[in-house]
Amino acid sequence: MESLEEFRARARSWLAEVEPPEVPLDLDERFAVLRRWQRTLFDAGWLGLAWSREAGGGGLTHAHQLVFVEELVRARAPQPIGLIGLEVVGPSIDRYGTDRQRRELLPRLLSGEDIWCQGFSEPDAGSDLASLRTRAVADGGSYVVTGQKIWTSWAHEARWCALLVRTDPAMRKQAGISYLLVDMSSPGITARPIRQMTGDREFCEVFLDEVRVPRSNLLGAENEGWAIATHTLGSERGAATLRRRVELEVALDDAVDELRGHGDLGERARAAVGRAHVAMRVLDAQTRQTTARLLADTGPTPLDSVDKLVLNDVEQTVLAEIAGLLGPLRALPGSRPAGLHSERWAHDHLYSRAASIYGGSAQVQRTIVAERLLGLPRG
Amino acid sequence: MAEHEFASAVDDYLTRAYDGDRRRKVLDAEGWDAGLAAELAELGWYSLATAEDRGGIGVPLPDLGPVFTEYGRHLVVGPLLEYSLLPVLVEGLEPDAAGRPPALVDPGVTDDWAADLGSVSLTGRELTGAVGAVRFAAQAGELVVVAGETVCLVDAAAPGVRTEPVDSADPGVAFARVSFESVSAHTVLSDRDLAARIRAWARLLLACELSGLAQGAFERTVTYIGQREQFGRPIGGFQAVKHLAADMSARVAGLRNLCAAALDDAGEASGADLELVSSTAKAHAAEAAVRVCEDAIQLHGGMGFTTEADVSWYYRRALALRGWYGDETELRRRIGATILTHERQP
Repeated sequence: MESLEEFRARARSWLAEVEPPEVPLDLDERFAVLRRWQRTLFDAGWLGLAWSREAGGGGLTHAHQLVFVEELVRARAPQPIGLIGLEVVGPSIDRYGTDRQRRELLPRLLSGEDIWCQGFSEPDAGSDLASLRTRAVADGGSYVVTGQKIWTSWAHEARWCALLVRTDPAMRKQAGISYLLVDMSSPGITARPIRQMTGDREFCEVFLDEVRVPRSNLLGAENEGWAIATHTLGSERGAATLRRRVELEVALDDAVDELRGHGDLGERARAAVGRAHVAMRVLDAQTRQTTARLLADTGPTPLDSVDKLVLNDVEQTVLAEIAGLLGPLRALPGSRPAGLHSERWAHDHLYSRAASIYGGSAQVQRTIVAERLLGLPRG
Repeated sequence: MAEHEFASAVDDYLTRAYDGDRRRKVLDAEGWDAGLAAELAELGWYSLATAEDRGGIGVPLPDLGPVFTEYGRHLVVGPLLEYSLLPVLVEGLEPDAAGRPPALVDPGVTDDWAADLGSVSLTGRELTGAVGAVRFAAQAGELVVVAGETVCLVDAAAPGVRTEPVDSADPGVAFARVSFESVSAHTVLSDRDLAARIRAWARLLLACELSGLAQGAFERTVTYIGQREQFGRPIGGFQAVKHLAADMSARVAGLRNLCAAALDDAGEASGADLELVSSTAKAHAAEAAVRVCEDAIQLHGGMGFTTEADVSWYYRRALALRGWYGDETELRRRIGATILTHERQP
């Protein structure tokens, strides 16, 4: 197998030659550009690096995957559009799917021909995901699905949705859940983008009104979807933490470059950069442990929740310190206070507030740490 | 891993021989306990990093980090830094025949309070000046003096050296004021980077000690909130308490991991990198350890405010070490200045 050093060198030189695309602000254009970018990455063999060759992947290790993610971010190249498919849904299909599902769905998922979204959360089922109410009723060869999902990224553009539904309302709440693979062009599906405070609108609400889904599109067994969902959410967390770490490191480097170009800096900038640097080193040290666990394939542990708390705190500290240097000119997106791009840092700072909400809120993580790691009484 | 071997041996011994009553008595003795110092010397802990041909074990300096974490965790007092670090870094500083510690007379322990601390100047071999806070100067046999960026050695009993003990609010350290009136240094070291290296390693080991203080305060707290009952159940079952404990856990883990990563990086680091690595660790340790101790006191309620609870001792030690070789505020400014002016590494 190719050594990590050789692999890194090959990734770096490929990225240096390929000219990664600029990310357009317009949402439709962004989707199209990043989808072409996914195809480019796929054609060059950079996607699904740790997946088996049967699934269309590269047959390499998680370590290679991490190296590529690092190099991609360092080259200031965007992520491919189908990240949900690549990081969350794909591994689930690979692990729990039938041969037919793997054969038909995974190559198209990797290449970006099919973009996937993830229909997990509902308006009344956020942190308490297991209380979800979207119903799937068996009817002949189909399930008939009715309900509502929310925070479904790119639902309005996606071809497929990984949907958690309730197939048995009589069972204990975690036990009656199934995992369906739903064609988004099916009649009865409406997706409505939600405008976020950052100005972005890739999140959607999804309404499902008597949508017919073939029973052959069930992933795993009926009423066993909860195990699939928790497995994939858990395995997603380590990889996402590592990616976010590199992204934050690159962001801080960019901010420092902008500040340096400006010349006169002042004590305020020195203190802010100092604090952000310390926070980044904390995250770097923390993720050395995460990497070790990921490579050892230890599976989900309460330590993932400690990682998430540290990551939240660092992300919010770093971006608050940078954005704090915008002062009153934060309100002027076109301005360059102290050399900093006001629009970018104000945007990234707002986005950092989501870090302690998505992927299991900080409050949920604290409860997990207290009960499962510290052994405090369950309440 | 070798460093864990030493640290767990230190942990085992302290758990056995330095618990409860003894620790409390030592903590009340203003930082100096000759018996304890002799005992730790006898165990060989002070000479871990000293070269083998000088009677030590010769482990790499970073391996001292986990040992200092255990010192913090067990609230060990005394001239740990002076005994363990100075003979390793300072050429010509020989072990004291009577077992007395060396002391480090360094006006550079702080940027922001430098004017309050004093200064020392060197002309030829002659030292003049005063430093208002020197750890364990009254107990020391030899003084390692930093004058400007030059390090020199002075016999503590040399003519013109005046050492006056001053009251200490750090339960782990005895302080004295040291002044020099035309004192002749018996050794002036030519290594121009030595002062920076001593300060960087002091920062790093103090960060590890702070990490241990945070760990100790946290462990006491988890035990306490699992036992203390109010409203008919352990207070650790209340969400408000749980979440504070989880934050402490994340903070303690973050600090421990940062110290481990810093020690890993420090072994290979050049002067400027060592400065950055050690300042980063100390800046974070200063903030995180104090915060963990404050939460520990909060969760101990009224008991935490008393000297009967260990957490109050952890807190006072953390507050004392916070500013020694830089608190988070001054170190962040230094780090920021370094990053904003230096060229980026490829």
